[in-house]
Amino acid sequence: MGTEKKEVLVSIRDLEIKFDEYVAVSNVNFDIYKGETFSLVGESGSGKTTIGRALMRIHETSKGDIFFKGKKINQKVGARLHKELIKKMQMIFQDPAASLNERATIDYIVSEGLRNFRLYKNETERQQKVREALLSVGLLPEHLTRYPHEFSGGQRQRIGIARAMVMEPEFIVADEPISALDVSIRAQVLNLLKKLQQEKELTYLFIAHDLSVVRFISDRIAVIHKGKIVELAEAEELFLNPLHPYTKSLLSAIPIPDPRLEKNKKLVVYTGEEHDYSEDLPKWKEIKAGHFVWANDAEEKRYRMQMKIG
Amino acid sequence: MQDSRFEFVTVDARVAEEIEAPSYSYWQSVSKQFFKKKSTVILLLLMVVIILVALIQPELSGYDPMNSPNINRPEMRFRGISLQYPYGTDGVGNSVWDVVWAGTRTSLLVGFIVACINTSIGVVVGAVWGFSKAIDKVMIEVFNIISSVPYILIVTVLLYTFGRGFWQLILAMCLTGWLSTAYFIRTQVMIIRDREYNLASSCLGTPMLRLVSRNILPYLLSVIMTNVSLEIPAAISTEVTLSFLGIGLNVAVPSLGRMINQYANYFNGYPHLFWAPVLTLALVTISLYVIGQTLADASDPRTHR
Repeated sequence: MGTEKKEVLVSIRDLEIKFDEYVAVSNVNFDIYKGETFSLVGESGSGKTTIGRALMRIHETSKGDIFFKGKKINQKVGARLHKELIKKMQMIFQDPAASLNERATIDYIVSEGLRNFRLYKNETERQQKVREALLSVGLLPEHLTRYPHEFSGGQRQRIGIARAMVMEPEFIVADEPISALDVSIRAQVLNLLKKLQQEKELTYLFIAHDLSVVRFISDRIAVIHKGKIVELAEAEELFLNPLHPYTKSLLSAIPIPDPRLEKNKKLVVYTGEEHDYSEDLPKWKEIKAGHFVWANDAEEKRYRMQMKIG
Repeated sequence: MQDSRFEFVTVDARVAEEIEAPSYSYWQSVSKQFFKKKSTVILLLLMVVIILVALIQPELSGYDPMNSPNINRPEMRFRGISLQYPYGTDGVGNSVWDVVWAGTRTSLLVGFIVACINTSIGVVVGAVWGFSKAIDKVMIEVFNIISSVPYILIVTVLLYTFGRGFWQLILAMCLTGWLSTAYFIRTQVMIIRDREYNLASSCLGTPMLRLVSRNILPYLLSVIMTNVSLEIPAAISTEVTLSFLGIGLNVAVPSLGRMINQYANYFNGYPHLFWAPVLTLALVTISLYVIGQTLADASDPRTHR
């Protein structure tokens, strides 16, 4: 595998998530290594947020296992593990307008998790922690008495980040943290996430629908389509040698900031009819070290050929 | 670029984060918004006067529906409007002014107590009901059954069971009255229950009770206000209707409803006897309704600024 030396933080095996009878996500297998940024990319409704929320134990799973540091977490957990998981795993939400309680002050919002488990010895220590969290995301301590609606979108997203950081987590699910933001402040928030990752040795699961953003921040990328992960590889490998037709289609959809090139760009349309899965059923296959794809035997042969030529 | 009309500025990241606007206070904004509307302030003053007079005047007049001191003095019956008898006197020689205030006091008490009890129970039950899917399964059936029977029928049957009287009436009106408030709150809770900020709170391990009290109920403040502003006049109307029909309060308790019932007989000869309680009732109900609505609007932060 070539990646064995790395420590596995989160591990997902044969995961399936059902909403009543509808299967939202199935056959999901991946590991997230400590300290890396793992990105999950797919279109709306593909199930990427569902996987993120299952990791945060918001959604129940119907099959498979989720392990965090070797402990199974997609089941009822005891109070001690619950507390530990909440401290170690945090989430950053997509919509900064909807993810903050409008009727609470920033002080309450940021210290909510601290209060729930009394993660401080006294009031002074709590205030100290909240202040540090605010400063670490570039906000000012005098913002503590303010309400969310007084802030801009970028500031609000940073409040959401401070709320997660104050718990001193190891793993963060970032659910499209920049897609609701103005283009001019997207870089600001991405840079902040990157800075915090380096300072605090964080591991990210970054959920996005935009491959171009993901390329520059991810170590590895998984592409998800209709609830199934179709391809997983290291970021550059995925961009250089995309195998699955859906990945190719996504890559061809990235806008090129040059009107002449953009005009002559050939879009690859993915319909799902490229596959013949009538007899030869697809499986999760490793074509090259660390490069996985959802394919059947015939496709696997073709992909291997392609790899050698490419 | 060499142009003396331009100069370089330095960007201070700290200054960029500062918020110029003065700090926001929720309740200050609510009161500011409320007192901005002059018509409501006038009605509020009127309501304060009505409540004070209704509480004090019956104590001074000593009116007792069971005791009519002038019943054997024919010259006291049907006196016209005068300084001594502002609304004249009725068929048994009582001052209608005294009777109206005594009745108003009963109506206001019934209205406030019933609205208070129904809203308190309704909000607590509704909040839990909206949150728990297991409770919803049971409660929705209970609600369907009880709400399919007319409210006034339930209260009437309960009154026949408990007997007539002030506290019996309140018990009868509250026993099932909170259900509609609870259902209303349940629906509101369901609307905001799955918003992202609530998911964020559960990711932080916030227990359900705090989720309800800190994340849900503050959002519902203005709809609860609206509900109360409808509930008080509605409770007063129910009391008056029942007393008018002769099933609400017993004869020992003064009531606007029974007054309207009795004085309706003299409508042709002495219409002011009928209009005195009816107009007082209308004034009380409309004022309460308008005040409640303005308060509900003011407590909605979208109107602030």
